Amino acid sequence: MRQIYLIARREYLAYVMAWGFWLSLISGPLLIGLVALGPLAASRAEPPRAIAILSDDAADGAAVKAAIEEARGGANGGSRYIVVKPPAGDLEGLRPYLTGAKTIALNGSQQALFAAFAVNRNEGKVTLSYWSTNLIDGEPRRRAANALSERMRNEALAARGLTLQETEAISRLGPAIEQFDPRAKAGASAVTAKDRAPYLAAAMLALALWSSVFGVANMLLTGVVEEKSNKILDQLLTRASPLQILMGKLFGVAMVSATLFGVWGGLGAAASTQALAMDPEGRFAEFAGAAFDPALLGLFAVCFVAGYLMFGALFLGLGALCDSLQEAQSLIGPVVFLLILPILLLGPALDNPDAPLVKAVTWIPLFTPFLLMMRAPAGLEWAEMAGPGVLLALTVVVILVLSARLFRAGAVDNLSAAGFRRALWPFKRAKPARAA
Amino acid sequence: MSDAVAVEMLAKAYGEKRAVDGLSFSAPQGAITGVLGPNGAGKSTTLRMLCGILRPDSGQVAVFGANPMSKIQHRVGYLPEERGLYRNMSPRGFIAYMARLKGVRGERAFKRADALLVEQGLSAYGRKKIKSLSKGMAQKVQLAAAIAHEPDLIILDEPFSGLDPVNQQSVEGLIRSLARQGRTVLFSTHIMEHAERLCDRIVMIAAGKKAFEGDVSAALAIVPRVASVETEGDFDLAKALAGHGFSVELEGAVSGGRRWRVSLSHGADAKKLLSACVASGAPLMLFEPARASLHDAFVRLVS
Repeated sequence: MRQIYLIARREYLAYVMAWGFWLSLISGPLLIGLVALGPLAASRAEPPRAIAILSDDAADGAAVKAAIEEARGGANGGSRYIVVKPPAGDLEGLRPYLTGAKTIALNGSQQALFAAFAVNRNEGKVTLSYWSTNLIDGEPRRRAANALSERMRNEALAARGLTLQETEAISRLGPAIEQFDPRAKAGASAVTAKDRAPYLAAAMLALALWSSVFGVANMLLTGVVEEKSNKILDQLLTRASPLQILMGKLFGVAMVSATLFGVWGGLGAAASTQALAMDPEGRFAEFAGAAFDPALLGLFAVCFVAGYLMFGALFLGLGALCDSLQEAQSLIGPVVFLLILPILLLGPALDNPDAPLVKAVTWIPLFTPFLLMMRAPAGLEWAEMAGPGVLLALTVVVILVLSARLFRAGAVDNLSAAGFRRALWPFKRAKPARAA
Repeated sequence: MSDAVAVEMLAKAYGEKRAVDGLSFSAPQGAITGVLGPNGAGKSTTLRMLCGILRPDSGQVAVFGANPMSKIQHRVGYLPEERGLYRNMSPRGFIAYMARLKGVRGERAFKRADALLVEQGLSAYGRKKIKSLSKGMAQKVQLAAAIAHEPDLIILDEPFSGLDPVNQQSVEGLIRSLARQGRTVLFSTHIMEHAERLCDRIVMIAAGKKAFEGDVSAALAIVPRVASVETEGDFDLAKALAGHGFSVELEGAVSGGRRWRVSLSHGADAKKLLSACVASGAPLMLFEPARASLHDAFVRLVS
């Protein structure tokens, strides 16, 4: 144990004291913050987009204007678009304002028109022309089209003798939908977002497990290749057994990722607490309640340890066979492919956790940690968890032992085909040396 | 003196190549034993098997009477041929880490590291990063790491390789000092001068097999002793010494005479040759007995 502790401690300190670790530590939350807040901040920093409306009918123009200015997402929660008085009376006249050749004064600054609408009525037929150099943002066009469609529908129904109130009542028609879970106790309320939240939380945790296993496995691989090429393993092997070295490395790198997750988790918890305080009944509160369910987090911890040990040991064993990082990259290709396979099943597992294929594949140890996580919210029987769980535990032990053999064989020997067979074949140690 | 290391019929092959082939030898406790051989002779493979890094295909290794080696690893220090260090660690941290892995407790490991750094003249570099050290300094750090846990047996694989003459002398001094403390030192080298200066006992290996085992004087005795003799004019030394049991060859002419190479028979010494020359009336210009070297013995045994 002492050897494992010392090797793990050195591994941990070596990573933690490298500047790359601190970069990762900072870049994680920074990236999440940028992804979450970046587009919002960008849209808020942008001045409202100016739109001009040319309309034969004042009521049409007013309906389009109201619909467009309802769009949120602008600065300080205001409208993203602002309808301005057209600087010219026809579309030809507006063209230079749309291309930026001419500008209008708006809120103390000069800016080009973002878009222009021309609404024409001819014998009851309404045409809408939309002009803009921005070909991506279709929201003003959609909003204008919806507003005019509603107006035309109301006019048609009014022509058939319906009042405006009756027309609006017809528009609101539709069934009241309620969804129930037959597994819930009698009298239980309908299915809500709160009931769906555990499935989404499990999917997110499975993805987190996958990405962390992938990330640390790569650290293990590069670490062992570097150590092997440094010729340090010879010295370690006179001080610790291959299994001790392997376990030490696994624990050391596991502690690195635990530190990363600890810091990120702490920041996430702080942010969640803040968000919950702001909206204790909102969707986020429902989701957080499901994600922080102790049973789900407990299963996540078990699956993480098992998945990490299995893939980590595999990567270490393979790393010990390589003399250079280039060699490692080519050897690791098929393993990365294996690691991608579980991700492909996350979608089907989310769609139907009890699908026969998903159930069957849960028994394959490679998939077990991920699929157990995904299927847990659907309510697994003990046997369904225990069976694949035991198989997974056995696989982890076998992979650890075999990887230790590969580790020794690859680290100290130029592994020949015969050596490879010898390292992997028997489950017992090689014969003790005997005098000839 | 009992044996610290006893090797019996040791064999190891890499595929078709037999790196070590039925090797047997011993290293007495408290002595300095050199394992000599050309590159590729199987020295490193042998030492790695002694340390338990490699498993022999067959044969027996006993270190302090123990087999398997894992039981007495804490009594053995090993310096591998291909040196490896953690470049971002400090020398102090590295030495203490290696000592702790051999069972030395924390505080004591650091004290020991400090003492070794002073001994090696590296105290000023103790807390710097290893990557800032010169090659010679880094090698000293490794040597210190190999002996930091105060082992009874120190196995050094090519400890002099890559060192300048000053550092080589310093390592020689360290090996002598370890032996004076009663520790057993076993080292490999292909540079015979080191072995000749340091070793109480040598084992010569060629192509994985033992070519010689014994003390240095016994190895030197294998080499026929020779003397260079120059005689005046056209004096025929071969004819004059015929029947005295010497093998005399004419090497060539020198200014004012001839140069001869005389091989002494086993057990004969240079004094006997000189007496015979004088008795035969040889007009001597030069009489120079050549000193046998381990290099000669090695070349003779290996070839």
